[in-house]
Amino acid sequence: MIELQGLTKRYGETSVVDDISLTVEQGEFCVLIGPSGCGKSTTLKMINRLIAHSEGKILVGGEDITTLPPERLRRRIGYAIQSIGLFPHWRVADNIATVPKLLKWPSSRIAERVDELLALFQLDDEGLHDKYPHQLSGGQAQRVGVARALAADPDVLLMDEPFGAVDPLTRDTLQAELARVHRQTGKTIVFVTHDMDEALRLASRVALLNAGQLVQYDRPAELLVAPANDFVRDFIGRADLGLKLLSRRRVEEYCRPAQRTRNNAIASAPTTWQVDANDRPMALLGGRLGESETARTVVNPEWTATPEMSMKEALSRMVWFRVTALPVLDGEGRLLGEVTMSGVMGHRS
Amino acid sequence: MSVSALSRPSFSRRALLILLSVLLIALVVGMEQLAPLFRALFPDQDPAMYERESFLNLTLAHLALVLVSSLISVSVGVAAGLFVTRPAGREFEPLVSTLAAIGQTFPPAAVLAIVVPVAGFGFIPTLVALVLYGLLPVVQNTVAGLGTVPSQTLEAARGNGMSAWQILWRIELPLAMRVIIAGVRVSVIINIGTATIGSTVGAKTLGTPIIAGLVGNNLPYVIQGAILVGLLAIVTDLAFERLERRFSFGESGAMA
Repeated sequence: MIELQGLTKRYGETSVVDDISLTVEQGEFCVLIGPSGCGKSTTLKMINRLIAHSEGKILVGGEDITTLPPERLRRRIGYAIQSIGLFPHWRVADNIATVPKLLKWPSSRIAERVDELLALFQLDDEGLHDKYPHQLSGGQAQRVGVARALAADPDVLLMDEPFGAVDPLTRDTLQAELARVHRQTGKTIVFVTHDMDEALRLASRVALLNAGQLVQYDRPAELLVAPANDFVRDFIGRADLGLKLLSRRRVEEYCRPAQRTRNNAIASAPTTWQVDANDRPMALLGGRLGESETARTVVNPEWTATPEMSMKEALSRMVWFRVTALPVLDGEGRLLGEVTMSGVMGHRS
Repeated sequence: MSVSALSRPSFSRRALLILLSVLLIALVVGMEQLAPLFRALFPDQDPAMYERESFLNLTLAHLALVLVSSLISVSVGVAAGLFVTRPAGREFEPLVSTLAAIGQTFPPAAVLAIVVPVAGFGFIPTLVALVLYGLLPVVQNTVAGLGTVPSQTLEAARGNGMSAWQILWRIELPLAMRVIIAGVRVSVIINIGTATIGSTVGAKTLGTPIIAGLVGNNLPYVIQGAILVGLLAIVTDLAFERLERRFSFGESGAMA
């Protein structure tokens, strides 16, 4: 979908982007990451010609981007930046309609598309349609920014640190939402950030840049398991490489069959789950650190896991509640299996 | 500005604007009706009412002068401000700012002294002086107003595929409009006051009774002209204030 071939940007004698070649496949979520000044933003802005490249070639959908007038190219590529990029004198609906208006869509189609996007970002029931950007919360403004970028239904979406200016909680929600929108729309996304957790959470591929050069371009798991060199290891953060790896893994990958009992009988397994008639776990028998194997711990909702939960979170719950196993529950609260402390060590793929 | 006017600005200012406008119109049309009042106040002065020309005619002539000079100042000033904020004109910014500043430093009376020998007496030399004098606030505020548009907003406009022309019309000018209008306001207010000295070189303005009063030692003439000029300036100022408020988009200018 997007191909960078020997892409170079020079300002005078210094190269800020130096001979970068990479391919972003259709539907891929590619995150460009690296320390400040590594050229990640410059690389992104060369894709929609906000910055002209000095050497090399950029192909979008197989077409050399220099064959199109820049404005035409940009109307075909969604572009989202930090929330302040909203036009302050336009209502939310007008902001979202920016590119469709430039493309001279009929107004009925524009109105339809705006409503569709407000619904996609769950902004429709908040009466935001006619509000001005300064009346929005940071999270809302950011959603509007992404909605605007998607308005003309572009195949490619470029995002330059879009969640850089929002608080961690909102950021978390926005990331989850973007992941959902990516799944739903199948857009090709190129996303710039300097936050490794954000990259690992969202990316299907990560391009790690340093001093204008591409250091490693890989799937997030590969980046963690097989870092190309010390810089990659350092940038990911040596100290919690393992935790980062677990943050990419989901509980279902580690889930094992659980030993069940309907009474207080301890079975042969180190952990046994006492379940009720509906197969809902009521208590854990054994499996509590520093206590006897017969210790009975009542299950409380805070130390259960779901199949979609990240293993990092599951591990964190085990540590916090001092248990060596968590019950994995389905939507109805029935016991699907268990994840255990020793199981965390066992899995590696 | 009184405290109460500050606390409820839009309501009391609007009432003030209406009140003063009515007063202004009444005085322009009916100043002559106040002749008995002036005669009573200045019994030694004869005549105590300026009657060589109707105040309506003087006011209209005054307004025409200010209108024409302001139109020229604003078009030239905004054009210059736009030019020096485009990539092509950026290097001319210091030059244009300096020229505009010189225009304002130069006393209007001196401009009249220079232009009269070239252009003769009356309307034209006054117009030249007013145009030069009113240029600076317009240029300055156009440049400043365009400068308040956040760079991210411009980048977003470009990134979403707007052409330079579309960015100017749809984004930059609307966002800069409040500050530009503030400059126009200053320029027009200055010109309303300054136009009076045009009467020293024979232009017909509300300064005519003032100059006549000063020359002929006739205080009622001075008061009659000055009241109208003062009211005209205040009413115009209040009207501009309302216009400016229309172009403030929430916290667009002061967003952190």
